[in-house]
Amino acid sequence: MCELACSAFHEGAFQPSCARLFAAVNPISATIKGRTCLQSGCAKCQEACPNDAIVTRSIAVTPLGLFASKEKNGGFVEGHVLVVDESKCTNCGECYDVCPTDVIHEHPSRHVAFKCDLCDGEPQCIAFCQNENVLAVDLKVDKADMVPADA
Amino acid sequence: MDFYRGNVLRIDLSAQEATVEPLNMEWAEKYVGGKGLFLRYLWEEVPPNVDPWAPENPILVVTGPFAGTNVATASRVLVGCKSPVTGILNDSYSGGSFASEMKFAGYDAFIITGQAREPLVVTIKDDVITFVPAMGRYWGLRTSELEAALLADFDANAKILSIGPAGEREIPWACVSTDQYHKAGRGGHGALMGRKGLKAIAVRGTGRVTVGDAKAFLTDMYRMQGENVLTPDNMAQNEEGTAVLAQMMSDAGIIPTRNWSTGTFEGIGNINSASFLKIRTKNCSCTQCAIACRQFHVAGGVASEGPEYETIALCGANCGIGDIEALMKFNHACDELGLDTISSGSVVGLAMDLTEKGVKDFGLHFGEAGPYLQAPELIANREGIGAELALGSRALAAKYGRPELAMEVKNLELPGYDARGAFGMSLSYATSDRGGCHMRVWPVGDEIITGTLAPDSLEGKAAYVIDGQDYQAMEFTGIWCAFWAAGLDQMALLMSHVWKREVTEKELRAVGECVWNLGRLFNLREGIEADAVPAKFYAEEYALTEGPPAGRSIGAKALGDAIAEYYTLRGWDAQGVPTEAKLVELGIDVRL
Repeated sequence: MCELACSAFHEGAFQPSCARLFAAVNPISATIKGRTCLQSGCAKCQEACPNDAIVTRSIAVTPLGLFASKEKNGGFVEGHVLVVDESKCTNCGECYDVCPTDVIHEHPSRHVAFKCDLCDGEPQCIAFCQNENVLAVDLKVDKADMVPADA
Repeated sequence: MDFYRGNVLRIDLSAQEATVEPLNMEWAEKYVGGKGLFLRYLWEEVPPNVDPWAPENPILVVTGPFAGTNVATASRVLVGCKSPVTGILNDSYSGGSFASEMKFAGYDAFIITGQAREPLVVTIKDDVITFVPAMGRYWGLRTSELEAALLADFDANAKILSIGPAGEREIPWACVSTDQYHKAGRGGHGALMGRKGLKAIAVRGTGRVTVGDAKAFLTDMYRMQGENVLTPDNMAQNEEGTAVLAQMMSDAGIIPTRNWSTGTFEGIGNINSASFLKIRTKNCSCTQCAIACRQFHVAGGVASEGPEYETIALCGANCGIGDIEALMKFNHACDELGLDTISSGSVVGLAMDLTEKGVKDFGLHFGEAGPYLQAPELIANREGIGAELALGSRALAAKYGRPELAMEVKNLELPGYDARGAFGMSLSYATSDRGGCHMRVWPVGDEIITGTLAPDSLEGKAAYVIDGQDYQAMEFTGIWCAFWAAGLDQMALLMSHVWKREVTEKELRAVGECVWNLGRLFNLREGIEADAVPAKFYAEEYALTEGPPAGRSIGAKALGDAIAEYYTLRGWDAQGVPTEAKLVELGIDVRL
């Protein structure tokens, strides 16, 4: 659901292969392993970028959603998000190589880096999250709260 | 084109060729998807009166328009064919994520024809289709082993539709699995896949499903999720699931017990939802759904999803098994072997009955877990007693001269509701378009659970059954899951995105009716048995002696009258053939 909502919001169509986060489901053990951007808590892409194309912006996040995510996030989180300045990005691929959660890639049609931008503060992945444990924990926007994606 | 990918993939196993054809949009507009589209293609693709085991009888895998979007529950896939068991239409549905992945790969449906010379696995990565020999590496594997092998060999993100060893040996109730635990269970298309030498289809798609204005669509879906999907009623499926029915049905005296000899099971306390809650480990969802009805349990060294109510009823009470560990093991064995649990429990219960009545000693006794636990493996291997059990209920009971002990309709074993305590079920079973099935209309809901209908009368039930069948036909055309139970108003809102115009509940009800009538025409063309149920349900001599239904009897005449009333209200003639006037009214473009 999170991949579906993410791609619909950003790409205008449902296309999980173009999502900005990934939830790999093992059909046999029925376990889900989520991969999300750790934003300023990680910033390896920003450090690796030779063109200063990955910029830090302040953001206020209002998680939507019907499960516990709302309570877990206190309903409102302020922090920082890393976004791609497409005018500066040369698609050199440095950031693709260093991302520890493998969530920054080349956009298949625009041929620049694309990554999670927290949907302008209303993350659609949380809005449609079907599992109260995965995304609400992983999508932290503040360094202090950051947890590794595989925690 | 929004919602559809516009492509049908034709997979010819004889020639090992795959070709892409445009989806017939005229049919897609009239019959939408799922069950409707399946039946229209089935009419065209099945050579009239073909032997269902013949290579010419295709297996169809069909999606609905909402697969691949985030419409709740709509990632279900239809697997269908002319059934080798019933000889009539057979549409079964499986949850998980296979339908969405088909859409991302670019296809609305697969038409699988022919018969492989050597067993095959078909892999599909977008437009690259590969026929892989199955012998050695895949043939013979249980479903979980097969999924693991294909995820490793082909693509870690692939979705897999497969058969287990039971399908390979053409056991009449072999099912088709998707994502391991999801089963398109009934009617034996797993056996037909085995006959065709197709072990599995693995699909991986990277494409897109468009919906028009995606942000507006997301907004609608978000509102719907809160108001219509995650309602307290639906979330009961998350909390207790269908297992909640076990205690209710036993209390109502209609849970099949010891081969339908009674409807009250003394061991129900050990296998009801309260008992399963104690061994629950987690819940899980299908890919497009937040209800998360899939419940995982651990007991007896088995960690597995389920069992659902029907399994508790047929593999538990009907076999006299009130032992939760044994039930978990039996259910898991059926999952791994690719056996439908309704038919498995029904046949094993019948064999126990034949044994205890001294007709034929299968070494199986009601309530004895030991030999019972060996049965699935023996059946799937056609080994020992399994060779005879694999005949299925009707043929097994007939072989030993006791046809009245087989509880089936049109050769499909009955699910977990005894019509003697819920009279409407007799009409539901008799008129079901695929034989013994509760998923076409479920009068138990109002006869037992809400109590708004009298359980001991057939009055008004014909109209009720028609209403439910038409609704359900629309639901399975969508394809939505019964656990959402979306209202026609909600379906109309969703369909308005597809048809890009205002859609009314009335026209969707008409689609359901149209689909049901098309199915009837197909069944008549292929030769359907008389609409009837086992005498045990209606004859006075078989009246139950305990529980609320004790002493009640439907009576042959009352049932006959109700079926006649049903035909009249349907606009069918006295033989159950849709009249020309009805076909014209519904705009159905095929004729017998």
